[in-house]
Amino acid sequence: MSDIEIVEDDVSLIVPIIDEAGSPKVRVRRRGRVTKWLAIGWLTFIVVSAIGANSLPYINHSCDQFESKLDCSTALNGSLKKIELPPTWAFFADPPKEPVGGGATHVGIMGTDRNGYDIFARAMLGARPSLTIAGLAITFGLAIATILGMIAGYFRGWVDVLIENITNVLLAFPALLLVIFCVTFFTDNTQSAASARPLWPIILALVIVSIPPLTRLVRANTISYAQRDFVVAARSLGAKGSRIMFKEILPNIVPALVSFALTGLALLIVAEGALAFLGLSVEAPTPTWGKMISAGTERLRNDVWWISLMPALTMFLTVLSINLLGDVLSQRFNTREAIA
Amino acid sequence: MNTRIQAATRQIDGPLLKVTDLRTHFRTERGLVRSVDGVSFSLDRGKALGIVGESGSGKTVLSRSIMGLLPSRNTERSGSVIFEGAEIIDRSLKERRKIWGREMSMIFQDPMTSLNPVMRVGKQISEGLSIHLGMDKQNARETALKLLYDVRIPEPEKRLDQYAFELSGGMRQRVMIAIALACGPTILFADEPTTALDVTVQAQILELIGDQRRDRNMSVILVTHDLGVVAGHTDEIAVMYGGKLVEKAPTRTLFANMKMPYTEALLRSIPNIEDPSHTRLNVITGRPPDLVNPPQGCRFSPRCEYVQPKCVTEEPPLLTAEHLDHVYACWYPVGSPVYREKRAQLDRQGSGATVGAV
Amino acid sequence: MAGSGKAHLRDSGDVLLRVEDLVVEFPVGRTGLKVHAVSGISFDVMRGETLGVVGESGCGKSTTGKAMMMLPRPNSGSVVFEGTELTNLPADEMRAARTRMQMIFQDPISSLNPRRKVRDIVREPLIIWKRGSSAEQLSRVDKLLEEVGIDPQRAAESQAHQFSGGQCQRISIARSLVLDPTMIICDEPVSALDVSVQAQVLNLLEDLKAKYGLTLVFIAHDLAVVKNISDRVQVMYLGKICEVAPSNSMYTTPAHHYTKLLLDSIPVPNPDVAVAKVTVQGEPPSPVLPPPGCRFNPRCPAADDRCRTEEPQVRQVADGHFVACHHPLFGGDAPVSVTTV
Repeated sequence: MSDIEIVEDDVSLIVPIIDEAGSPKVRVRRRGRVTKWLAIGWLTFIVVSAIGANSLPYINHSCDQFESKLDCSTALNGSLKKIELPPTWAFFADPPKEPVGGGATHVGIMGTDRNGYDIFARAMLGARPSLTIAGLAITFGLAIATILGMIAGYFRGWVDVLIENITNVLLAFPALLLVIFCVTFFTDNTQSAASARPLWPIILALVIVSIPPLTRLVRANTISYAQRDFVVAARSLGAKGSRIMFKEILPNIVPALVSFALTGLALLIVAEGALAFLGLSVEAPTPTWGKMISAGTERLRNDVWWISLMPALTMFLTVLSINLLGDVLSQRFNTREAIA
Repeated sequence: MNTRIQAATRQIDGPLLKVTDLRTHFRTERGLVRSVDGVSFSLDRGKALGIVGESGSGKTVLSRSIMGLLPSRNTERSGSVIFEGAEIIDRSLKERRKIWGREMSMIFQDPMTSLNPVMRVGKQISEGLSIHLGMDKQNARETALKLLYDVRIPEPEKRLDQYAFELSGGMRQRVMIAIALACGPTILFADEPTTALDVTVQAQILELIGDQRRDRNMSVILVTHDLGVVAGHTDEIAVMYGGKLVEKAPTRTLFANMKMPYTEALLRSIPNIEDPSHTRLNVITGRPPDLVNPPQGCRFSPRCEYVQPKCVTEEPPLLTAEHLDHVYACWYPVGSPVYREKRAQLDRQGSGATVGAV
Repeated sequence: MAGSGKAHLRDSGDVLLRVEDLVVEFPVGRTGLKVHAVSGISFDVMRGETLGVVGESGCGKSTTGKAMMMLPRPNSGSVVFEGTELTNLPADEMRAARTRMQMIFQDPISSLNPRRKVRDIVREPLIIWKRGSSAEQLSRVDKLLEEVGIDPQRAAESQAHQFSGGQCQRISIARSLVLDPTMIICDEPVSALDVSVQAQVLNLLEDLKAKYGLTLVFIAHDLAVVKNISDRVQVMYLGKICEVAPSNSMYTTPAHHYTKLLLDSIPVPNPDVAVAKVTVQGEPPSPVLPPPGCRFNPRCPAADDRCRTEEPQVRQVADGHFVACHHPLFGGDAPVSVTTV
């Protein structure tokens, strides 16, 4: 009998009876408390390390971390002795060449790359463009999508049709082509290759890509709230459309947006990695996760796996943590809804 | 009708269903919610029992707990449920599945959400027949059609190939009843079966459930908040309050001679169609108890007009009234000297204002 | 059922609201079909009166309530409130007019914004209309909250989901009173509540009505509740009016077969009152394709050919008792008109 099924977490059964004094929230015990804190811990670690990347006691080829040019070149020369050394914990891995002038054969928690730079330090430095690009893209994408989606969902009618068509056109346009176009068109090729390519063309590309799905999400949420009695009540009290949208509807759709935005953020981090693989991300020498991974792939054949794998692991853990956090938030949001 | 499937009617002495000290508690972050807290009753074959209570009284949880339909996580269940002479409370999920549909089935308040929106009605009815009774496709479809005739749905042939959204609310509930009756259950649990329906349709559905009960010699447990619904359609009524059974009696006895002040207050708070307009309604002040921290003593004592010091400290047991099949949980039941004294005192004061009574 | 006609409209006395030939239709997707939610009804409400509107789901009672507030504007017809025609008011004047007429909804929790503090919800109308200083606004809000039985301190700290259904309905009532309206439209205000709480809210509405001299339009499906609170009751079926009568005479001597069916269907909490055998089967047909003639004719035990072709008009059968039926339970058959509608 399809109609008789045990529903796990059927919160509706446990009618919340609220006592006179308090405001207790009835919530059933849930899994994933430990993973939530692990995820938050990892993300905090990444963000703090990215900000302080230049203070890390490793050579990452950013002369910012040295007092003077001379110190920098000395350090860089020193780093040449440590080319492609495996991480300290990887006792099973041998370096392809003995370090020049002897010394340790295993260096750092992630090893070193072909220039002798520390991979952990570069991964943290690389978190900066990766997180900045993804974070800014999702922020702008969300802001634009919220306005478009709420207008479409609240007013409906021809505005809705217009916005729907715009998002359809954006969706139909091949995303990769759009990104290649943005990056090549907006980049000034006359400048020397060494100067960093600006971030904004790639952010622009990712914003455009993220607008259609976010707009649809906002629109759907707006429609469902616009039919609730409290919105009708606000209208009957004489509130104007803009006031209803921002004071009544927006606070209700924010939780859904935040959890969806986190998923989007994770997707965009991966997307940036993919673009770097195609040589479309920011220009050398700034490391990004995607570029580090792609740079190490050719060395995989020679059993030098850490150059690719370590930044890949960093990206993997970050994306996983963001997704877990998004899950926790959306679960929280759903439970609130079920009870409220 | 002659091909109607009946559950094997093993002849067993004693009641069909005997529930003893059933407790169902849910672990929540706030603490243990004692939704059902020591309920005992028994039900004979072919009888209709009404379980009446307000939201949060535990009536829905009680019916699901008897069937074993609650999720196991965060749930504590104890006591005894003896069905056809066998203990079923400790049965595994696999064993319980054998009972569902064939021995016990349930219809719910909202027929729209309990029907599968993407499956044709006929398929939903015949599914149980093929799973539980091993019927072949043709046979199951014919039986499904018969069931639709039984539940008096208009144009049953047409309905077999329709989807739930194409049916009206009343027809959906008829389909739900057909699904529930398909494998010839011995007990039908009806959880607020008419609350989502219009009043003229409600009368039809209640009559249908009653007719099917008599035709099939099936027991019915009718869970509802509406005393009017149970009055006309049950043999016995159990009143629940705060997770406890507070009064149980044959329907006529209960209405003629209710003992529990809560039952009386509940009945008196319903607007009576016989009274002229603007008749002041009797209210029960306050709200149902918090099932995490239920009040000491009698759970109704904080809201009871006739409360005495003993009610606040000592929990009343289930006592037997003049009729042996009438039990109630009250120290000073309706009609007792203490009750009469307090009633007279209240009448002298006049029923006061009730604004802001929450 | 029934019918059009305006025989039951009153010309004398203090008429607060007068609705004539109200029509509300909704398109069904892009099919070109329409839901005939309300099909040309007329009624009026006197100042200080409580009008009960009763009927089953789909009869158009809630749509009527919302159309009175122009949410949305009706397709045609006239709504005159306090002497002002509302249907053609410009948007800004309509917003102002709505403050005189307030609404309470069925689902007490859904009608309060779940993300805002309850005290702010009740205060919101005063902020929208910039009435009084901040301190004045708060003192008015707190006074009203106390009057409906909600602790203002708790309201300042809590959101709607921290209150019970009955309390949320009290909060809605406080919000509807904050702008000092003349009329309150109550759309199924107690049907989501437990019976014990329902009685509290009904008594509260009666008390507030007396205290503030309110006029109520009380929309519900529960006949006993409607009878209890109303002075005059109007029965609706499939977007039309069946019967209008003073509350007491409607219930003792119903004239329309549909009213009788409704009354017979009420489950009475008394096992000695034999449960009447259901005489009328079926459900209201879809308001997309309402039947011609009297809309109740497919279910009516007294229907004849005339009922299937000619729409009955509202006419008086007893003092203040109006019915739209060719063959009512009392008062004699309707005179045959020369032109059929």
